[in-house]
Amino acid sequence: MKLSIKDQIGPRCIIKEDGQKIYDEIYKPLKSGENVSLDFNGVSQFASPFFNFAIGQLLKDIPEADLRRLLQIENLNETGRLVVERVIENAAKYHGDKDFRKIVDDILEQQAKELN
Amino acid sequence: MVQKVIPIPRINDGRADFATLFAIWSQANDYFEDVRFDFSGCWFLRPNAVAFLGGLARLIESRLGTVEFDWTSLQDQRVMTNICQNGFAGTFGHPTPAWTGNSIPYREDRTRDVGGIMDYLEQYWLGRSWVQVSKRLRDAIVGHVWEIYNNAFEHSGSQIGVFTCGQHFPRKYNEILVLSVVDFGQGIPAKIRGFFRQHADEALVSQLTGASCLRWAFQAGNTTKVDEPGGSGLDLLKEFIRVNQGKLEIYSNDGYAIVDQDGERYENRDISFEGTVVHITLRCDEKLYRFRDEA
Repeated sequence: MKLSIKDQIGPRCIIKEDGQKIYDEIYKPLKSGENVSLDFNGVSQFASPFFNFAIGQLLKDIPEADLRRLLQIENLNETGRLVVERVIENAAKYHGDKDFRKIVDDILEQQAKELN
Repeated sequence: MVQKVIPIPRINDGRADFATLFAIWSQANDYFEDVRFDFSGCWFLRPNAVAFLGGLARLIESRLGTVEFDWTSLQDQRVMTNICQNGFAGTFGHPTPAWTGNSIPYREDRTRDVGGIMDYLEQYWLGRSWVQVSKRLRDAIVGHVWEIYNNAFEHSGSQIGVFTCGQHFPRKYNEILVLSVVDFGQGIPAKIRGFFRQHADEALVSQLTGASCLRWAFQAGNTTKVDEPGGSGLDLLKEFIRVNQGKLEIYSNDGYAIVDQDGERYENRDISFEGTVVHITLRCDEKLYRFRDEA
């Protein structure tokens, strides 16, 4: 399966609603092990909300290694590559378990150190 | 009802100037209040003040108060010309319509107007002939700056929207471009404390300072979203600003964050206000900019 992002979305990939459209197209093929190619030719502006929804959400159900094997990203410029890589790193953390009580304790500990 | 007169002094964009703006907010923060802004002591008004005062006026109106900008009190002609040209004075009752010159327009977005905001950033902020940047760099900058607007609309809960103003400073050796984006929503520390209250004891959460909350918000992968991944926007923006020798400042509730070429610092402020101001300064020299593949 190959999708032209410019045809589907346009030259700006910056909002979550557009990311969701791409996610809806590619989730099932990827989940069933099909190769998917996203062609960003003609897309020039990028922001994290788009990639959070298009790709970050995939990591909830698809292991990162499988996603990297099945999903080909073509013609994505350097800015877009930076954003998508950061989103994948952060989504992997997001989908892990979090102990928010410990996070609050850690923040307070750092805060106390700074005050001393 | 008696009209409260609030004097607007000279306002630059240093920390003390933001304290002045937050003190003005505090004075105008009652419901059903009628306010008149008096400019007789104002001989300097930076775009951060323009965006802030515009938003504050809409906040007062949303609380069923009335606002009068007393333009007859403004004696400084340079300030008057600037705020007429950028459309701010015309938005608030002055008869002179905005005109295209070397100013960057004042802008109000009650709702998320993606095309309008991106066109503004491209055409009116960056796209003027004063900034010699390639299309590649322009696209990178507007994408990163969009993260600010996205955060404001996604997280602030502001009922009156987002307010923007910018300015170009054509200095010979340090040409810069600034942009201020203001909302009067709940503020980042308040949002983070509210999020942690769902998971940890109130007694602990209430100890979190504004500085600590902002530091947490700036770290990659940290997000208050519960059903969708996030936590990349501020992280990407701060990296871009730092690599390219710009400056990013955020005032939100009682917290202050600054990112510049010296790193990132977080501080607590005495004056808290309900909302967020993002103030960015970019250098206008393509030679200073680097992409990762050029680093």
